[in-house]
Amino acid sequence: MKLLVVEDQAELANNITSYLSKEGYVCEWCSGYHQAIEKLAGFDYDIVLLDLMLPDGDGLDILRFLKKEYPDTGVLILSAKNALDDKIHGLDLGADDYLPKPFHLSELNARLKAIYRRRHLGGTHDVVFNEITINTETMEVTVNGKPLDLTRKEYEMLLYMVVNKSRVLTKQSIAEHLWGDYMDSVDSFDFVYQHIKNLRKKIVQAGGRDYIQTMYGSGYKFNPQVS
Amino acid sequence: MKLIFKITLLYLLITLVVFLLGGMITHQVIMREVVFEEQRFLTERLTSAIRMIEHRKLDRPFERDKIRIIPLDGQVEETPITFSDTVVMHATLQRMEPHNKLDVIKKVGDRYYSISLYDLIIEEDDISDGVNESLLKMYLLLSVVVLVLGWIASLFILKPFNATLEQIRNFSLKKNDRIVYQKSNTREFDKLNKFVEEMTDKVRSDYQSLKEFTENASHEMQTPLSITNGKLELLLESDNLSNEQVSLIISAQESIQRLSKLGKALSLLTKIENKEFESVEKVDMSELLSKLLADFKELTDLKSIKVETEIQDQVCVRMDSTLAAIMITNLIQNAIRHNNEQGMISITMTDKKLTIRNTGEALKSDPKVLFERFKKDNQSKESIGLGLAIVKKICEVSSFNISYEYQKKMHCITVIF
Repeated sequence: MKLLVVEDQAELANNITSYLSKEGYVCEWCSGYHQAIEKLAGFDYDIVLLDLMLPDGDGLDILRFLKKEYPDTGVLILSAKNALDDKIHGLDLGADDYLPKPFHLSELNARLKAIYRRRHLGGTHDVVFNEITINTETMEVTVNGKPLDLTRKEYEMLLYMVVNKSRVLTKQSIAEHLWGDYMDSVDSFDFVYQHIKNLRKKIVQAGGRDYIQTMYGSGYKFNPQVS
Repeated sequence: MKLIFKITLLYLLITLVVFLLGGMITHQVIMREVVFEEQRFLTERLTSAIRMIEHRKLDRPFERDKIRIIPLDGQVEETPITFSDTVVMHATLQRMEPHNKLDVIKKVGDRYYSISLYDLIIEEDDISDGVNESLLKMYLLLSVVVLVLGWIASLFILKPFNATLEQIRNFSLKKNDRIVYQKSNTREFDKLNKFVEEMTDKVRSDYQSLKEFTENASHEMQTPLSITNGKLELLLESDNLSNEQVSLIISAQESIQRLSKLGKALSLLTKIENKEFESVEKVDMSELLSKLLADFKELTDLKSIKVETEIQDQVCVRMDSTLAAIMITNLIQNAIRHNNEQGMISITMTDKKLTIRNTGEALKSDPKVLFERFKKDNQSKESIGLGLAIVKKICEVSSFNISYEYQKKMHCITVIF
């Protein structure tokens, strides 16, 4: 997957590119409006990560340009403005998703993969990980071909962990992924724990391996190298 | 009282003083003229009396109405003319009337005569009455004319002033249009308009920069937080981290998250204060409340909180829909957060009011400051202490009433639409 990060904050772009490079994405970065237009005119990208507030132009103009010239390119808006208008406006103009700053890089990764799956319908909606297959369209999960009965939240959690495999996922990032901003209480961490426990049990009962590794502190990791 | 009436009354008061003084002067002047004329008249009559004495060769006393001549015998000195007041029987009125009297001893021919002449005085109080009456009538006329004309004139003179007042009254920061005044030909009004214009321009630019500051502060804060959070996440990925190091990183991340939420909440509060949420529409509160309660179901289940609802169907309220969602979310969140394990939440909504009750420890702090910023009762780590301040602010801009009470071991927040 080839990405263009349009972000005027070099350090933030640096975080994003180094995190996503580990996923095997090809990441390019540009810091402003004009540079972005040049790059977009010259190369093909799968997804553009777009900051709306740029020093030399409005990010929404880049979005308009993309939708006109390269409608196949996915767009994920990153914005600190957090203004609802911007969000609605951006999505109306055809952005695939909107992620307010600050965000977890794992959340960004999950969103990017979701956009990628939606945009490249050529093949399958399946996310396959060893014996686990997740159909993102029907939201069905099978382990060794046997269907797994998961709740909505367990399903979302499993998908989140699988797309972020081998990464440390803090309880906070999982809670925010599942419940968004308004679940800010410590209780949600217990809740994450409950869901993880149930999910683990269900996968193991269905004959899958226990990939979910508890990290000391308050995190989890979906570890493919589990014995 | 209208300014014009005040000015007119003051003017009339001054005029009254002037009229009083003027009346006294007029009275005196008239009196002087009258006395002078009367004496001249008596002197003229004296001349004709002397002519009469010469003509008639008078040798007996002569007495008629208003004249008495007595021939004197022997050697007597001539005297100068003297005037005096006296009271004489008036022939036609048949009563005593004050008269002017001229006395003189004059030599006519070769005899001396004592001549006394009388003339009816024009009485002083008659003159006073005349002066008073005419001045009073003039004063009344003046009052009426000044009041009426003043009122009519004020409509024209004060027109630019009233126009300015109207413009100030209609001035709104949100509309963001400049107040432009018409030039009047009154210097004071032009000055006033200039001041108001400068003031409103200043207010507008200050408001604008405040708004921009809020936006920018939020933006500028979120970006470094985002960077830091990302760095910590990358750090978490590195190998060979000890458990202590992992928990340090995670706790740092939590603080960053909190800071970010704080910034967002403060900027929301400022935005509500700045009245940036003004798309008032009909919001179906029943639907909204049920939807949000469903969203929170997991959380209440987790804490084993029993939720009882009594929601009237199709309660519609006119307010901004975003604010409605924020208000309900914060209230439910608050009821869950400050609840006990196995507690209870009871929500009642009618088209008049929304009541949310929840079990929980009684407040240790003053309930009056409950809705103020950062007045947290328990310094619980996950709460930033702005939730209810935001709810209060939303109620203010939507003209709702909000109140809190603690009864039967339940916290009870009531919003009256």
